[in-house]
Amino acid sequence: MRKVATAGSVAALVIGAAMWWAASVDAQGGGTIEADVKYNGAPKVEKLKVNKDTEKCGTETTIEHVVVGSNKGLANAVVSVPDAKGATKAKGAIDQHGCRFVPHVVVMQPGEIEIKNSDDILHNIHTYSTANPSINKAQPKFKKVMTEKLEKPEFVKVTCDVHSWMLGWVAVVPGLAAATDNNGVAKIENVPAGKHKVEVWHETLGKQEKDVDVKAGQVTKVSFELKGK
Amino acid sequence: MAHLRRCLLAPPCGVAGPRRSRRSSAPSIWTILGALPRPGLAQLIFCASVAASLALAADVGNAFAQAGDANAGKAVYEKKCAGCHGQNGDGKGPAAELLVPAPRDFTRGLYKIRTTASKAPSDRDLFKIITDGMPGTSMPSWAVLPDKDRWNLVAYLKTLAPEAFKEAPKKLELPKEVASSEASIKRGKEMFEAIECHKCHGTDGRADGPSRPELKDEWGHPIAPANLTKRWTFRGGPGRTEIATRLAAGVLGTPMPTFIDSVEKPEDIWHLANYLASLGPERPSYATLITVTAVRGDIPDDPNAEFWKKLTPSAIPLMGQIIQDPRNFNPSVDLVAVRAAYNERDVVFHLTWDDPSESKGDGKQTFADAISLQFPPQITASIERPYFLMGDANEGVYLLRWEQGKGVGEATANGPTKIAPIAGGEAGGKAVYDHGQYRLVMRRPLAATGEARPTFRPVVFTPVAIQAWDGGAGETGTRMSLTSWYYLRLEEPQSNRRFVIPPVVAILTLAAMVLVVRAANRVR
Repeated sequence: MRKVATAGSVAALVIGAAMWWAASVDAQGGGTIEADVKYNGAPKVEKLKVNKDTEKCGTETTIEHVVVGSNKGLANAVVSVPDAKGATKAKGAIDQHGCRFVPHVVVMQPGEIEIKNSDDILHNIHTYSTANPSINKAQPKFKKVMTEKLEKPEFVKVTCDVHSWMLGWVAVVPGLAAATDNNGVAKIENVPAGKHKVEVWHETLGKQEKDVDVKAGQVTKVSFELKGK
Repeated sequence: MAHLRRCLLAPPCGVAGPRRSRRSSAPSIWTILGALPRPGLAQLIFCASVAASLALAADVGNAFAQAGDANAGKAVYEKKCAGCHGQNGDGKGPAAELLVPAPRDFTRGLYKIRTTASKAPSDRDLFKIITDGMPGTSMPSWAVLPDKDRWNLVAYLKTLAPEAFKEAPKKLELPKEVASSEASIKRGKEMFEAIECHKCHGTDGRADGPSRPELKDEWGHPIAPANLTKRWTFRGGPGRTEIATRLAAGVLGTPMPTFIDSVEKPEDIWHLANYLASLGPERPSYATLITVTAVRGDIPDDPNAEFWKKLTPSAIPLMGQIIQDPRNFNPSVDLVAVRAAYNERDVVFHLTWDDPSESKGDGKQTFADAISLQFPPQITASIERPYFLMGDANEGVYLLRWEQGKGVGEATANGPTKIAPIAGGEAGGKAVYDHGQYRLVMRRPLAATGEARPTFRPVVFTPVAIQAWDGGAGETGTRMSLTSWYYLRLEEPQSNRRFVIPPVVAILTLAAMVLVVRAANRVR
């Protein structure tokens, strides 16, 4: 019995090592930044009753101004490495689902964003931007997907005037970036080795910057603590 | 020319020209400052015609935009515009806080009304707004200014947001025009429902949609959706092309999005415009006299009864109460349609007005919706009438009044804060609220006893005034909209005598003639 277990763990180790090797090969000399964003304050999530389109929107909803997860981890913060170029460009995508913007923060590189409406009711996508032209387009139920351009780096607030509680953000960042999960952790992979500036941004808590030294094939940890304004 | 000069010299002319006089939804800066007298009717009509001819001349003379001089424009701006729009063009002039909608902040280069596909309006768009003003807002027509001044203003405005005007504006190409027809209007209504215009504008277009209370402009000011049945308040004009352009281009800085890519087929923009144009008249035709129709038999209490639909309504415009504090600069109710009838027993009034919410009030921010018809306590042939603002300490008025939750009652008033119900009143009636509109029937016996209550008599010109409160918008007490004195007249009673007397007279005449002929024959 013990032999089997030992053999199993050896096999696991071998497989693990193989995966690590494969990953480091994929990275092509890049490293990973693991950012840990914390917030030492109270979460701010507004709860409110819905009085229209309840069959799609539900009867209650929330506005997520500051979401704090386990261990004070700050969700929905955007960690970016603005000078890390060369990443593949993918279209940004945001969905209007259950009268919420999903995800709450979209991270994308300058370019096109696909705006979906999976609610089968009218929404209007209304952006508050200065670098990019602001958008206020109706998206009736039959218009399932629209494509818009956000070509300049900017953190763009997105609202829907039909459902005033709907709030989303599109982080248009030139380099590599990721949004933090509910534990306040964001992983950015394939960062070229060398010194970089890492930036964190949150919709209500503002920005912070740190310098990191990324080593090929390694995970570099960086932690931020944002303070309430 | 003397008249022209008189008009040009008197600021209220341009401000209170044809448009301003008809519109009560927002006061102009002149009314607010209260510094300038109102023009008389004659002057008003004269100014209207002069303004119209000036506008015409402007259109002919300026088929193409003129390059203005921004420096010269600045001087004009500081004199004429800064009061509302601010010294720096940030929309924060001294009068701004009293104005709804708020004056535009020019520093972002966002303009509501444009005929362009790009964000920036064309020079002509800016020139047109300066020249025509914005209906339903405090922005008056500046057609009184020379053309050149207006072009200079255009040039100056552009310097306030140089970024926005860096690129030349692109003209918006509307889909091929579709003439209005029954089929087009039907298609427009389908599209209206499919793209859910009702979310803000309401099912019947009366600005009572479920999203209405939450709407804000991009500066965070609350903003009301347009009442689609009152086209004369459309900011960019009431015409079909103007409506189609707004639908296609959106209204920048407001929640109104662009729909050019959001209809099923491009020509739906025209079907929608045709449908919207079918919801109400381009211009209201206001009444000067309310006729109370004489009827025999019952007059229904049900405001939706066929009986009332057959009577022609008299549209009466209302203004904000801005004489006594606290004043109401942005009245909600701007029009009441009055129908009235009487029989041998009662006089009955049927009132229709738009109100985006049915409010009983919480007593703090919102109050009960209410309306009252005001009469002198006794109707005499005298031209003396009580003070129109609900009477004063010396002479009171009689009110036939309805209040949400309380119903119809009679009251006396000696000023807007001194209303006393009359005990044992004989008034009654019924109100219904339907998609942003109240319809109310108030009835009362023709004859009345006591000094405080008038008796209504046929053919006598009876002074009447209206006050209305939209409690949901926080209106109560002196915060109301009102009219000055109007007249109503109970038409001649219809009786069977008109069917009896003429034949009797005819028969008697015939008999007399026969007698004369016979007498003559006998003599011979």
